[in-house]
Amino acid sequence: MNCKDCSEKLDRFVDRELNSTEVLELQLHLESCPDCQDHYEFEAHLKRLVKHSCECDTPPAFREKLRQLLS
Amino acid sequence: MAESPAQTAFAEEALTHLDTLYRGALRLTRDPDQAQDLVQEAYLRALRYQHSYQQGTNMKAWLFAIMRNLFWDRFKGSRKEDVSLDDVGEFVLYDKLRDEGAKPEADVLDKLAATEVVKAVEKLPPLHREVVLLVDVEGFSYKDAAQTLGVPIGTVMSRLHRARQQLQKSLYDYALESGIVRANGEHQVQQ
Repeated sequence: MNCKDCSEKLDRFVDRELNSTEVLELQLHLESCPDCQDHYEFEAHLKRLVKHSCECDTPPAFREKLRQLLS
Repeated sequence: MAESPAQTAFAEEALTHLDTLYRGALRLTRDPDQAQDLVQEAYLRALRYQHSYQQGTNMKAWLFAIMRNLFWDRFKGSRKEDVSLDDVGEFVLYDKLRDEGAKPEADVLDKLAATEVVKAVEKLPPLHREVVLLVDVEGFSYKDAAQTLGVPIGTVMSRLHRARQQLQKSLYDYALESGIVRANGEHQVQQ
């Protein structure tokens, strides 16, 4: 695998959508390529940032209202 | 509302997915009151049509599908063509920042405020926003996201790809405006 192949598969790697063979090939490349490893860490960090930023709790009063409505 | 022990059990199980539905509704409507109305209607509809839910399948995805379909019916008049996304070309934030000399992860991501990330997500057209919500926020597989949205997996992947490029462009623009990075070739990063 070269850096171009790695870059093309990075999204699916971060999303855990590659098959086991592709994962192994990509991991081997990352171990030998600091630039791609850095890129991978950036994309994984960004995905976590989006997740954590968009998380929010359901307002307790609404949760209770809905629970009563459905029971 | 629940008229039998089976309905009560169904409602209780459905309510374990409330946070996912509320988060999704809030990001789609961008309004807490509308989000609550949407979620309540989705739960009432789910209870009414619980016979169409197949036991053992993904209830979270089923509920989310009900909620997002209601969103399109109620808030968008089902005009799904209203989804224009700015053409940002092939924009890769990592490459852009590297070209400008910033160490992307340490210097930029750590300085981005959560509120700005939410703004960037909410700026996406709904058809692209909902894919980001499912895959990045809720951790759905491409397959489950495709099933939830009623589109092929390839459509999920292409929408996700375009959404991420637009999202990264928005975050880059914010980083420039706020001085987190400077696009003047001096490779300066705000401390």
